Amino acid sequence: MDLVDIISEKKFLGQEFLTWLWYKSEERGGSVFLPGTGDIQLVFEKHMLLESGEGESLEQLVCRGLQTELQEARTGLLMGKKLEQARIYLAKGDYEWRLTFGATLFECRNVSLPRTISSNDEAADPLAWEAKVLERIGMSEEALQTMDELFRIFLQTRASADWPQELARLKSWIAKGAEN
Amino acid sequence: MGLLSRTTTFVRYSVEGELPGNFWEFAAERIAKFSFRDIDDTFDEYSIGWVSIDNMFDSSFAHASYAVGDYIVLSMRIDERKVSKTLLQKYSRKEEERIKKEKEIPRLNRSHRVQIKEDIRLQLVKKSLPVPAVYDLCWNLANNTVLFFSTATKAQSVLEDFFKECFGLTIILQVPYLTAVHLLDLPGQERLQDLHPAILV
Repeated sequence: MDLVDIISEKKFLGQEFLTWLWYKSEERGGSVFLPGTGDIQLVFEKHMLLESGEGESLEQLVCRGLQTELQEARTGLLMGKKLEQARIYLAKGDYEWRLTFGATLFECRNVSLPRTISSNDEAADPLAWEAKVLERIGMSEEALQTMDELFRIFLQTRASADWPQELARLKSWIAKGAEN
Repeated sequence: MGLLSRTTTFVRYSVEGELPGNFWEFAAERIAKFSFRDIDDTFDEYSIGWVSIDNMFDSSFAHASYAVGDYIVLSMRIDERKVSKTLLQKYSRKEEERIKKEKEIPRLNRSHRVQIKEDIRLQLVKKSLPVPAVYDLCWNLANNTVLFFSTATKAQSVLEDFFKECFGLTIILQVPYLTAVHLLDLPGQERLQDLHPAILV
């Protein structure tokens, strides 16, 4: 299968993951447990893009708002749409990221990396410059690795005999979200 | 939205194939060979090459090295002279009208019009200034992945070809399914192949 076929045929995998991640983040009030790390903070905020169908029947729904409960997006889920893009706040240890995550291609857009001491340096000398570059790479990779770990948890359930129970809980969360 | 910008945007690629044993020598030679060549003082339409992520005018990496720890950090710079379609159409039509008047003929045949359009395009290209675009990338040599700091599909497609041409290695965008293959064990990968979309309502 070439990459174009993989993207179109397996698109559901990323979208189901992001939808499941929204459910997981709300299940424990914004805390998600990562094995080997402990609890991290993960909150869906401000901006969401939902999709259903494909090709000419593709429908998209964009929801934005600072203080909203994302009610339109929850109704969208109930209409059969899945999450394609979401603005996520992520906190792990002392570090905080904000990023817009695209489900189909695993894109990280508008990533605001954690503020660190060397971020503010002018980095005039080569060693300081190198340290700054390494730190920014490390923080970018850390955000992706955290998403990888969350994706691994999703996959282990999605491709196991436990999926029907998890799916039932996910459906119940979607139904409840649209009622409120 | 590059690596050093306040906010950044990126996707991940995997690098396929084995790196040569004398990797840093190989990299130095390939990066020098494929470094950016300026076209400001020529009439060339297009130039692509590597520059420092710190300075788009530094193609010899005099101010900042591309080797940072176990990473190679580079910017892919593309300079291109572009001609807008509207301008091309206007000046092609103008030339057609001039020729028709000069030769006192009512119309020109198709091949003649195509030739006029191409001549005009070349004239306009020579008059236009090269427009630069710079895209950062960071190659993690420990796990052979590349972060590319753009989500523009055209830039990604150019990078895939240019990376292959420069280093002789194929890079593949890590979409969820391919990421999943790396994250799961063999039985998990087999189950992954059989998954179908779930209905969530």
